[in-house]
Amino acid sequence: MSQTHTQHTPAVPDNPAAGPLAGKRVAHQPNWSVRGHLCSAGCRALEGYRALEDATLIARLQTAGAVLANPAAMAELGFGLHGDTTVQPVAQGAADLALVNDTLGEARVAAAAHGMFGFKPSYGRVSRCGMIDLVPSMACPGFIAAGPQAILDALAAVAGPDPADVAMPDDCREIPFDARPSDTDPLQNAGVIIQSLASLDGTARRAFEAALARLAAAGVAVQEIDLPDYPLFRDTHQVIAAVEASSSAGKFDGVRYGYRAPTAKHWNEMYLETRKSAFGPLLKALLFQGAYLQFDNYAAFEQAARLRRRLVDALAGHLKKVDLLVMPTRNPATDAATATTIAAIYDAFAYTLPANLAGLPALHLPGPQTTDAQDPGLQLIGRRLDDTRLLALGVRMADFEKEGR
Amino acid sequence: MAYEAVIGLEIHVQLNAATKLFCDCPNRPGDDPNRNICPVCLWLPGVAPQLSRTALEKGVLACLALNCTIQPESAFDQKVYYYPDLPKGYQLSQHHQPLARDGWVEIIDADNQLKRLRIHHIHLEEDVAKLVHETDGRTPISLVDFNRAGTPLIEIVSEPDMRSPHDAMAYVKTLRAQLRYTGCAECSLEQGTLRVDANISVRPRGSDQLNTKVEVKNMNSIRNVGDAIAYEIERQSACMEKGTPITLHTRLWDPDKRMTVPMRAKFEGPCIPDPSVARIVIDAPWLAEIKQRLPEMPAQKIARFIKDFGLTPDEAAAMTAEREWATLFEATSDHGLPPRKVANWISTRLIPVLRERRQSLQETRLSADRFAALLDLLEQGTINAQAAKEVLPQLLDSDDPPETIVARGGFAQVSAGDELEALVDRVIAQHPADVQDFRNGNPKVLGFLMGQAMKASGGKANPKRLKELLGTKLGAA
Ligand SMILES: [Zn+2]
Repeated sequence: MSQTHTQHTPAVPDNPAAGPLAGKRVAHQPNWSVRGHLCSAGCRALEGYRALEDATLIARLQTAGAVLANPAAMAELGFGLHGDTTVQPVAQGAADLALVNDTLGEARVAAAAHGMFGFKPSYGRVSRCGMIDLVPSMACPGFIAAGPQAILDALAAVAGPDPADVAMPDDCREIPFDARPSDTDPLQNAGVIIQSLASLDGTARRAFEAALARLAAAGVAVQEIDLPDYPLFRDTHQVIAAVEASSSAGKFDGVRYGYRAPTAKHWNEMYLETRKSAFGPLLKALLFQGAYLQFDNYAAFEQAARLRRRLVDALAGHLKKVDLLVMPTRNPATDAATATTIAAIYDAFAYTLPANLAGLPALHLPGPQTTDAQDPGLQLIGRRLDDTRLLALGVRMADFEKEGR
Repeated sequence: MAYEAVIGLEIHVQLNAATKLFCDCPNRPGDDPNRNICPVCLWLPGVAPQLSRTALEKGVLACLALNCTIQPESAFDQKVYYYPDLPKGYQLSQHHQPLARDGWVEIIDADNQLKRLRIHHIHLEEDVAKLVHETDGRTPISLVDFNRAGTPLIEIVSEPDMRSPHDAMAYVKTLRAQLRYTGCAECSLEQGTLRVDANISVRPRGSDQLNTKVEVKNMNSIRNVGDAIAYEIERQSACMEKGTPITLHTRLWDPDKRMTVPMRAKFEGPCIPDPSVARIVIDAPWLAEIKQRLPEMPAQKIARFIKDFGLTPDEAAAMTAEREWATLFEATSDHGLPPRKVANWISTRLIPVLRERRQSLQETRLSADRFAALLDLLEQGTINAQAAKEVLPQLLDSDDPPETIVARGGFAQVSAGDELEALVDRVIAQHPADVQDFRNGNPKVLGFLMGQAMKASGGKANPKRLKELLGTKLGAA
């Protein structure tokens, strides 16, 4: 390393025992850089790779006194939830918080499958420095906990400007994060995107309506919102994700670190063999799609980029009229844990990916029967940077229901 | 049939920022291999590339020097290709939204006419790593040196406005001079800090069609740029004449064989917007501040030197070829010395010494004050031209005033009548045969006798006085 290179994060926390997260156990995926530790991101391409620095999020957790568990298993480069075990210790009470890379809605959907709360912050609210991901314009650290207050506490310690995350959007860079919700200005009006309900069957629909009633009981007025462009979210996300993945995975070439195919006569062959064995079938399919779009159908990518802008504007427009948007978190007919094709994955995350595409904060609240496999869950999507008020509403609802029960 | 060439140049210029484009590693590609590297320029997973403000400032200044319009918003794209010299499988470059557009430079064309050559756009990009191929061992291996990976470049893409090797060479020279003026770049073709790729096509003279172009690379001097283009025009014209179709491809200039040879087809990847590097937004106050730093450009200086200092166009061009020479010329002339004499001394005495020492002016101790003081001693007759020439190199190495150096080295010229007279008498006495020869009508002998007298004075005699005295004495006898 050159002598001028400076480590971005302090190595040892000053007094972790006195920190706000003292003793909190954090489960995380191996896509977070922890200095000196293996960091495979669930991908053979990173076999044997050890991080040289701490990710900002990791350093802030440790400074606040949190204790890192050994990394869990994760889906390859955090795309989907196949093989992911991160949520389990939280569901079993062995950890207080789980960090799940959220590209499509992984944290919310994993939380929904285990009766936990799952939260994706506004894009950029939490530093992405030191996080290995596949789709940089959408992937965020996602948070899973048994209750919303634990997530708010974690955000208080880790969210906010990070000079080392240079791709952090300006709004996140300039506005410090405040974890204290305002008592005077709670979220009051919610809009349900009616198009999102079309694919729920009768049982799931009734479960979702029950969840809306809980929202109303907590004092939130619920109205219907018409978003004709809703069906475009999925394809737009997929086209952009495939193209960004194709670029991001380009660095896994076996030249500098990670897996390198042993028998190659020349470097072209080394590239081919290395990349052939470095990725699993799902990732390869995604990379093929991305390469096709990059090389042979760039117009489709440009169109997706324009659609993304239109969808972001449409959501922002509705969020001027209501305080938050409401959707199911998942379709109970799908199963993210077993989804191993691109189509199955996009089915499983159809409800969560709009918030990733638009960079908005989104919270999954479990239903009263926390392990009901037929429960589509309640997903609240807030205005950009309205993370605190959104979580505060989650706290309010959890408290309200605890009292009511 | 008569053909004309259509030539466009793509020029890569390395900015001399202290650090790389997206990290704080030193921008010194020549250091020991893999010394100037970090997680960012190795593109380890999880890194965040941070655009260097200095590189951006230097890039903007370079664009301004080439009369471009700085775009209020520009952004990086990923130019995808796979090669071991590229740590992330794509090069960060500005494809869709370049830093600047619509520039121009003016040259004097082969017909001595002022010609404006347009620049389509200029964009920022990072350089790639360097591959070193070792073929000595049993198994040939390729090593990668990442010192150069991520160093800041600008690429200057011209319009196809050039019509001859002369145009292209003049374009490169002018552009290089203007960029060097800004202090943003060294622009050495020989050292690879300025690299020229030429796109060349030919068409029947008078036609306005654009034919298939051929790209020529690997020209590491301005001379080679001209030669390679001339060769390529000749080659393509011959193809046209024979009816052989010209295909789009890339050729390399072989400086030894003095010809272009086809090279392996290069893979051209797509360019997609990069989501990780922040967009560049340039506001008016910041741009105004950078504009303040833009020095007077060579063309304006030439005009001013002709007008204000009475230089000839050639002298003015010579004085403005490097910004530091122009500065020295102006500051020295401002001491009240005759400007044309100053210019003459800079081009015939000082510049050859600098070239010999392979130094820039900045790397020496010479200041305008001390240079003026030296020329002043010459003007006053305290020293002669020969002595001044000997004192000059000493001014480059020490801070001593020229007066001190003159006194210490005994360079002061002998002008005193008595001393010179004794000297002349001695020379006449020592060379009776030559004196006789002169008096018999051979005027060439005077030069010889002058030389003898000068030698006897140790080179310090005031030549004008010496000649007068010698003439008088020889004629008088
Ligand atoms: Zn670096």
